[in-house]
Order: sequence, then C-alpha cells, then structure tokens
Amino acid sequence: MKPLKQSKLVSKLLLRHRSNNRLWLSLVALFAGTTLLLVAVMIWWNFSLILNGSASNDSLGSTFLTIGKQITNETMGKKNASLYTPREIEAVSAAPQVQDVGMLVSNRFPVYASLSIANGFATDMFLEAVPDRFMDNTPFGWVWEPGNTQIPIILSSDFLNLYNYGFALSQNLPQLSQSTIQALAFDLTIGRGIYTEHYTGRVVGFSDRISSVLVPQSFIEYGNKTFAPTTPIAPSRLILKVKDPSDKRFSDFLKKNNYTTNSEQLRWNKMRSVIEAVASGTGILAILLMGMGTLVFILFIELTIAKARQSLSLLLLMGYSPRYLAMFMLRRFVPLICVALGMAAIVAIAAQGIAAAQLLPMGLTLPNTPGIWVWAALLLSAGVLISFVSKAIFASLRGNE
Amino acid sequence: MRLSIDHIVPIPMRDKISEYHSRVWGQQLQFNSGEKIFIQAPSGTGKTTLIHFLCGLRKDYEGSIRWSAFKMQEINPEQLSQLRASSVSVILQDMRLFPELTTWENLEVKRRLTNTVSEHDAEKWMERLGIRHKMDSLAGKLSYGEQQRVAIVRSLLQPFEWLIMDEPFSHLDHANRQRAILLISEVAEMNKAGILLADLDDNNYFTYTRKLLL
Repeated sequence: MKPLKQSKLVSKLLLRHRSNNRLWLSLVALFAGTTLLLVAVMIWWNFSLILNGSASNDSLGSTFLTIGKQITNETMGKKNASLYTPREIEAVSAAPQVQDVGMLVSNRFPVYASLSIANGFATDMFLEAVPDRFMDNTPFGWVWEPGNTQIPIILSSDFLNLYNYGFALSQNLPQLSQSTIQALAFDLTIGRGIYTEHYTGRVVGFSDRISSVLVPQSFIEYGNKTFAPTTPIAPSRLILKVKDPSDKRFSDFLKKNNYTTNSEQLRWNKMRSVIEAVASGTGILAILLMGMGTLVFILFIELTIAKARQSLSLLLLMGYSPRYLAMFMLRRFVPLICVALGMAAIVAIAAQGIAAAQLLPMGLTLPNTPGIWVWAALLLSAGVLISFVSKAIFASLRGNE
Repeated sequence: MRLSIDHIVPIPMRDKISEYHSRVWGQQLQFNSGEKIFIQAPSGTGKTTLIHFLCGLRKDYEGSIRWSAFKMQEINPEQLSQLRASSVSVILQDMRLFPELTTWENLEVKRRLTNTVSEHDAEKWMERLGIRHKMDSLAGKLSYGEQQRVAIVRSLLQPFEWLIMDEPFSHLDHANRQRAILLISEVAEMNKAGILLADLDDNNYFTYTRKLLL
C-alpha cells in the first residue's frame, strides 16, 4: 500500500472546500497594498536623503537660502541701511530652523573686466565671496593666495541663462555653453587710478544656489583690505543653512524683519510638502488596501475552517490537537503571505534601481537598493499580517472545539 | 487509568432521571484499569449522552467525570486531545468516518497520529474483519456494516487504556460480530486496556466484570 502523508490527508480534509478565487483576490490585494506601502516609504526615504542626507552639497541645496534687506523708498538713499549689523546677524543665527549663517561679502573696490579676444567687450562688475561650506560645489582650482594672478570665478547659472535666452537672442550674439565660458580668460583690473592690479579671471564652475559672481573669500578680503581699508566690511546679503524653510515661524521671522529671499529657492521645500503629502496619501491608501487584503484573507481562512467544520470536529475527536491543526493551517497560509510580500519587495528593489538610474543624469545620487526603513516597513507589515492571521486561525479553531 | 463518575446527571434529562432508579446517573462509580464494563441502556435512557460525556464531546451535566488526574469539566483542549490520542479510544454509534476519504485513508488519518501500530498490522486487522478489499473505496459508499468494521479497526490504531463503545456491532451479522469481538479482545489485552460497552440489550460479548443498568 502506498504510504500516505499525514499532512496530505489533513489537507484533503480541511482545505478541500477552499475558494481559490477568494484566496487569489486577497493575495493580490495584499501584494498591491504592501507594494504601495513600500513605495510610500521609499518616496519619503529617498526625498529625505536628497534633502537632509550627505548629498547636501548638490544642486538641490534647498536648505540654503540667501537673504537681503528689502530696499524700500525710505532706505533707498541710505547705503548702509541695506547692510547687516553684527546684532542682526546674531538675531538671524538664533532664528527658528536656522542652522548656520554665512556672510556674502562684496568688493568695496572697482573691478573692470575685459575680454581680450573680443575687442571692445568690457564691463564694470562686482564680485562676492561666501565661506566655502555654503557653496554647492567647490571645483578644482578654487583657491587664491596673494601673489596668484589667476582668479577662479563661480558664476550663477541664472546669469548664463539670462545671457543665453535673453541678451544673446535679442542682440544677435552667439549663445555660449558652460564649457565655452570656462575656456575663456577675462582680464580683470582692480583698483583705481595708479593703484591698480591686473589679474586673469577664469570661470571654473556654476552655482544653482547663489545668484552672484563668486570668487574665493581670500581674494575679496585681500582686495578690500588693500583698496578700501577704511570702508567698513559689512555683508549686504546673508546665506543661511535652514533645516526646514517651510516652517511658518521661519517665514514669519523673515517677514517681520523685512528680509527678502529668492522664493524660487523654496521650490524644493514646497515640493517636499507635496512629496510628503503624496507619501502620506500613498501610505494611507496602502494601509487601507492592506487592511482590506488582510480582511479578505482572514475571511477566506474563517470560511475554509467553517466549511471544514465536520472534518475538524472529527479530527479533534480522534485526538488531533488544536495546536497541531492551527500550525498546519499556518504552515499552509503563511508561505502564501510571504510570497505576496516577497513579490512586493522585488517590485520595491526594481523601483529603487530604476529611480536611482533615472535621477543620476539629473545629478542626484540615490542608493541602488532600498534602505533599512523600507525593510523595516516590510518586516513590520509581515509581522502584523502573520499575527492577525494566526489569531484568526486560533480563534476559528477554538470556535470548533 | 481509573475512571471516576461522581453523581453525574445530564441537565436536559434531569426531571426524567429523577423518576426512576438508574445505576449510573446520580451514582458514584469507580472503574479500575483493565475492567470490562457493560452498561445496558434501554432506548431513551441517555446511552449516547453518557458516551459523549465520557469522551468530552458534551459537558452539559451536573456532577463530575474524572479520567485519573483529568477532570473532564476542567480539561483544556490540548490535554483533551492528548487523552483521546493515547489513552481513551472510542467507537461511536454513528461511526463518524470521513465520507470523502477512502477506507485506507480513514485508517491512516488515525494510525499516523501516533504511529504505534504498523501498516502491516492495520492491513491484517482489515483482512480479519473482511474489509481489506474495500481499502480504496470511499467510506461514504460503504454499507453500514462495512463502515462499522472500519470504525472498529480505526479505534484500535492507537495506544489506549480504555476503549469506549456505543452499540459497536449493531450493523454486524453474527459471524462478523464474533470476528470483531475477538480482534477487540486481543488488541485490548495487548494494551492491557479496559472496555466500556453500552448497548440496548443484555449480552455477553466480552467477559464483563460489571454490568450496570443505565
């Protein structure tokens, strides 16, 4: 006689009446719910990485803001009214959400730039400097010491855009790429009258964060000391590292003091609110879907047990223990839950890989695999699901005793 | 294993029982291991109810039933399954086979629970009761007599200290009944087990140590 496995016999008795349609429906709902949950966590986690993580030196410097004093009709004529006093700088440092404050110091001496290869292209101009820690990138060669004749310059990307899409088109001038600009050497003359010095300026990089023409701080300090020793060196603009610029207390502080900022710089913070809303919405939807999936799954198990009531009573009468039968049911159903969650994990891994690959050309580096929060969410949902299902199985069996 | 019955009265039959003198209901009884008890129970006196009380299928009674250390009113489900699997085997009047399983599968469900009887012995016992050729037939398709014989073999496929039977031979002819009695006696002897049989009419199927009127 062919040997019969005990589990096969019990399965034949208890699972014969199961409805496969309900089972598939609940598993699909569980898979979709878990996938959505993992995606919600991934959206939140990836965006946190971009905003707060080690990538703070990238072009999404959304937590860096430059502020200046609003020029009003009353302050128009007063040159020093737009400058920040040490007390005001201290107040800004203590403002809500502000983590660090840097001064944007401009030149107090004349600067005259000309382009030797384009005869007649010459202009007066201004320069500014900020501490390096506030810059979105510090390209190779970003140093200047007294005696150096080469001055590295970082130009605001906005200026190049203004030239290419505004000035060049209207004046019938050639549009210039970033690499072309970087290849050009400017003659810079600083000082007045006989007290002048000549330098060669070269654009070494572009900044999305600071709308200015930046040179190393050491050069501005040298120039101001040499050519304008008596003029007080006070900053006209401040650069702030802000944890959460969308905090109302921070914006109220700016408003109260009549400080202006480039509102466009807040776009990532606005987007963060949107992303958080999207992640929360997806999360709530995911929890609803998972809840429904779990409910259908539990109903499926209860119905299967109810349909097998007679067999179950007889198995108990023969000496099968409720614990054995519950463990038998768990062994049958928990792997199905694991498959649904496993598939959700595979989708999450693929989505993270695709997101990382898609964002790389935009200069945003994301990990190729989901991080610990995603796995924690997966483990948590698995734990909650399995505990609900176990409870349902034990409760249904107890009802049959 | 000692069976103690202490003044048990089924709650639904309380009034009826008070009208006559039963030797079981409302009495204090002790059955020692290895005893062979016959309970004669005319129709309507609660024979099946008593058997259900003894194997823990019902608890709607006053008084107490105790299998050695286990008090049936307080036994937990795990202890009850342990008692049923290894100490108290039962043949119910309505057989209670799984109709969707074959004869052999019905036996295997029981045998594999404890694995104390070999496949060979199980087949041999089927042969002795004349149901071996029905091995692959669905239990639901068997005659009552065949079903009763399957239920008898099944009850023997576990270790037991007591075998409780409720009209176990009601569908068997004389020859088949004799074969079944012989097999049960042998296996009970092997297990050094007691027997408690309840039936409508008096009989001498086994060498009873006590006969009681329900």
